[in-house]
Amino acid sequence: MKRRQPLVVGLFLAPNLAGFLVFTLVPVALTFAGSFTNWSLRPALPLEFVGLQNYSRLIHDRSFYLYLYNTAYLMLALPLAIGGALFLAVLLHGNLNFRHARNRARATWASALVSALSAAALWFAGSENLACVVAALGALGTLGFALGSTAYRTTFYLPNFTAGAATILLWTQLYNPNVGLINQGIARVGGFFGVAVTGPGWLTSTRSLLGFLPWPEWFNNGGFGVGAREAIMLMGIWAAIGGNNLILFLAGLSNIPPELNEAAEIDGAGGWQRFRHITWPQLAPTTFFIVIISLIAGLQGGFEQARMMTNGGPAGTTTTLSYYIYLQGFERLDLGYGSAVAWMLFLLVFGLTALQWRRGARDGAD
Amino acid sequence: MNRELKIFLKHFCLLFLGLSMIFPFLWMAGASFKPNAEIEHLSLLPSEAHPDNYAIVLRQIPDPHTGQKLNLDFPKWYFNSFFVAAWVTSLQVLTSAMAAFAFSRLEWRGRDTVFLLYLGTMMVPSVVLMLPNYQVMVKLGLVNTYRGLILPMAFSAFGTFLLRQFMITLPRSYDEAAEIDGATPLQLFLDVILPLTRPGIVALAILTFLGNFQSFTWPLVMVKDDYLRTIPIGLLSFQTDYGQQTELIMAATVMNIVPLIALFIVMQRQLVSGIQLGGVKG
Repeated sequence: MKRRQPLVVGLFLAPNLAGFLVFTLVPVALTFAGSFTNWSLRPALPLEFVGLQNYSRLIHDRSFYLYLYNTAYLMLALPLAIGGALFLAVLLHGNLNFRHARNRARATWASALVSALSAAALWFAGSENLACVVAALGALGTLGFALGSTAYRTTFYLPNFTAGAATILLWTQLYNPNVGLINQGIARVGGFFGVAVTGPGWLTSTRSLLGFLPWPEWFNNGGFGVGAREAIMLMGIWAAIGGNNLILFLAGLSNIPPELNEAAEIDGAGGWQRFRHITWPQLAPTTFFIVIISLIAGLQGGFEQARMMTNGGPAGTTTTLSYYIYLQGFERLDLGYGSAVAWMLFLLVFGLTALQWRRGARDGAD
Repeated sequence: MNRELKIFLKHFCLLFLGLSMIFPFLWMAGASFKPNAEIEHLSLLPSEAHPDNYAIVLRQIPDPHTGQKLNLDFPKWYFNSFFVAAWVTSLQVLTSAMAAFAFSRLEWRGRDTVFLLYLGTMMVPSVVLMLPNYQVMVKLGLVNTYRGLILPMAFSAFGTFLLRQFMITLPRSYDEAAEIDGATPLQLFLDVILPLTRPGIVALAILTFLGNFQSFTWPLVMVKDDYLRTIPIGLLSFQTDYGQQTELIMAATVMNIVPLIALFIVMQRQLVSGIQLGGVKG
């Protein structure tokens, strides 16, 4: 395999490489050059070379450190999102069919009938919303028992279709500290046990789970609790768990030769053993890909949530680096400084990825 | 019975997780039938069904705010989104698969260094690349054209990386067997590696198509004329002087995603259908 002609390699690479040069490498080089200038969108300002001025400003910029911390904090949700997707993928890839066709038919009919009857009862009792929810649950159950994992895969991917306006609007209302569904639910559960509980402030609160640590004053730390950052993380996990990572894990699972599992089963390996010794190592390249992509996306993340839900607040606690870059470049029109922040971020991502890469290579993913 | 119970429990867990995922969709479908005054309510159902929103978006009846039919072309937006996403997906899958083949099955000096460079560029925040990229498009004269929407998205380090990860899991014995049979690298690529990478290719196609169908930022800077509007850009028309007409956005979004969900159902079946149709045994 060593005697590949350069021509062959060149032909296979050429289409991608050409586009890559024009649409990625050139713009990247432009931003790098831009970070040493006073590049601005204000037309009146002539372009000047300012050396390392943007970078020295960055080192003394206190908000940069807060936003870096916010970005890193939000990334703590990544292991949960990835692990959850892997768990779901294994569950959906495994057997969801009853051994006896009769049981399947029974479950299908039972879920259709029971949910239809209770939905009708609720509807006429006046709780129309609850009736809708029960009907949806019943429909999903009927489809799930009848079709197996196809129904669930589609359902779990739904948040990706409704992404943007619908999801953001809905979650903002769910998180409302006074009238939102989540805090009302918390209060009701508390009331059931005879305790008056007030839910967290969610998007309006600067508290965080790491709030008990002695952060510097400009971190606007509200103390220990659940606040805006946790709200964004929870929403992120919810949206990510059934999304692209699940699709990629499912594709990875289909790539594992079934003979491997069959042989192990004959040898008497249990479910966990098969996962540990067959699925996990065979899935390593996919997992590696997802971890790298998530790291990259996480460090650049938080932009849409900040822009559409919180405006980066309260007190800057949900402003991430990518939102800061956007603010500097497109609101304050200071593209030079924005580029400098971007390149700092780039160095971070690159360092972390290189670290992951070496670990991945060691574990045989490469 | 034990096994049957376990399967029942699996379904049970999946159902409740599924319910939480389906909730925004239910709410959106309900909101698309609400009049403007009720849109802020969390209730799933409108106080009374109000199908006018769909008719307004499709220009069957005039918008009550202005008394005139909306000045927009929803079917054309739909066509544009579909056209652009289909082109991007085919080009991206093709170029990514070819590059991934060169990065995983061919041996050449500097391969891993070039690959790391590819990866490195994925790490530059996309917010920052938008402006220089726009200037490149101005230089190429592609602003406000279909090609301007398609070409920059057709080459991706993401796709190359993804397919490379799938290709490196295939045993070397395939290549050697093909070589002994006298296959050229092109034959090895088309007849051996591509079919065996199908789950990866399907996954990439799904992600690329759906991602581009709904992409917002790049079309936002590229599209100037009405005839080029894709759906996400078109939805901006509902932010009028009278405030955001959320109920119309919801009606348009429902019409937007129902066909996409159907497409997803068809495509994702390909994800799990086995690929072990031949290849090397043992």
